[in-house]
Amino acid sequence: MTPLRRDLDNRVVAGVCAGLGQRLGLDPVILRLSFVVAAAAGGFGVVLYGLAWLLVPADRAGASAPPGPPRRGSWQVAAGVGLLVLALLLLLRELGIWFSDPLVWPVVLAATGSTLIWHRSAAVRRQTTTRLRGLPRPADPITRGRVALGAALVVGAALLFLLANDAVSPARDVVLVLLAVVVALALILTPLWWRLARSLGEERSARIRTQERAELAAHLHDSVLQTLALVQRRADDPRAVAALARRQERELRAWLSGTSERTGREGVAAALEAVAGEVEEAHGTAIDVVAVGDTPLDEHGEAVVAAVREALVNAAKFAGNAPIALYAELEDGRIHAFVRDRGPGFDPAGVPADRRGLRESIVGRMERHGGRATVTTAPGSGTEVELVLDSPS
Amino acid sequence: MRRVDGPSLVTGLVLIGLGGLFLLDRLEALDLRFGYLWPALLAGLGAILLASGLRRERP
Repeated sequence: MTPLRRDLDNRVVAGVCAGLGQRLGLDPVILRLSFVVAAAAGGFGVVLYGLAWLLVPADRAGASAPPGPPRRGSWQVAAGVGLLVLALLLLLRELGIWFSDPLVWPVVLAATGSTLIWHRSAAVRRQTTTRLRGLPRPADPITRGRVALGAALVVGAALLFLLANDAVSPARDVVLVLLAVVVALALILTPLWWRLARSLGEERSARIRTQERAELAAHLHDSVLQTLALVQRRADDPRAVAALARRQERELRAWLSGTSERTGREGVAAALEAVAGEVEEAHGTAIDVVAVGDTPLDEHGEAVVAAVREALVNAAKFAGNAPIALYAELEDGRIHAFVRDRGPGFDPAGVPADRRGLRESIVGRMERHGGRATVTTAPGSGTEVELVLDSPS
Repeated sequence: MRRVDGPSLVTGLVLIGLGGLFLLDRLEALDLRFGYLWPALLAGLGAILLASGLRRERP
């Protein structure tokens, strides 16, 4: 629970109601109204508010505060206009400048409704102009709902007015004529409107296509064309060229599959790919990486990545130019990785006791983290290192 | 210069206005009837709502 604080960012007087509303999950406007009513009823609300002002500390760190109830600017404006109109009418009535009582509610409703319709919030406008460099944007449901409610209020006000003046039966003929005109207009205008909306949509998608093409061109220039230029310059060094081509291939594949965009979330898959890239660049051999799924990179995951790196380095050192494959299945803390090469293989029993790479960096490391490593190899048949880890979560 | 907070200003003015009305009533300079007080309260509330609604859109 957050402590009660006066919310100075959304305050009207001293932020008491805004803070209270945030704490209770209520719209502060309701609380403000209650305070005003309590203030009108014998000044009780003023005293209460003053006490709260004195006793409740202010919240200076407005940015870290949790988001309060949704902003309701237009509703407030509409309600404010409605109240002002009501007040004006009551005053006129009191002064004797008056037509008839049944006029009050229709006028107030009509004022509120038309304010809701006409008042487009500045926030929506700003959003519309900055989105996608001015691309037209479909009306958002909140605005549409507001306009619909406003229209309903205005129409309701008109009906109320007619009812109150016993004018419904004479008005029926007028309404019938109006209805006929509206239907006729709809019949005429709907196809036009439909065509306009469609052409707008087509223009919009054409513009999106152009933007996407420009983005693609920019990306290809920054990556592929630059690499090709480097390849030309280093044409006499086949290893460097191969490494450049591999790096570019990996980057392009990541871009095509959309994985390069998940930069914020570092998982085991990304770490494995990074490690493979490093080894590839350091030793100039090609490593095929296939990672299925992903799991967050914790302490145990880091151990597996380090073991994989060691296995890749071994394979790159001893397998010559034979292709190396890294295959990993990752899900919810379970990591299952294979490093395979088609190199000459070796006899595990023949590894000298002072060579620590396989024994310590791979098998020992995996066992320390509760996993296991299995090395399958024989002279002449390549090597496969299997690493399995179930993270205790 | 410190920016003037619209809703606070309006609330203050409304309170001053209401206070003035009550004071005049107290001093018998004005006969405050319910018929006048009610529209004044409503108008004050409406003004506060309007000001705070307009401010929320231009933070």
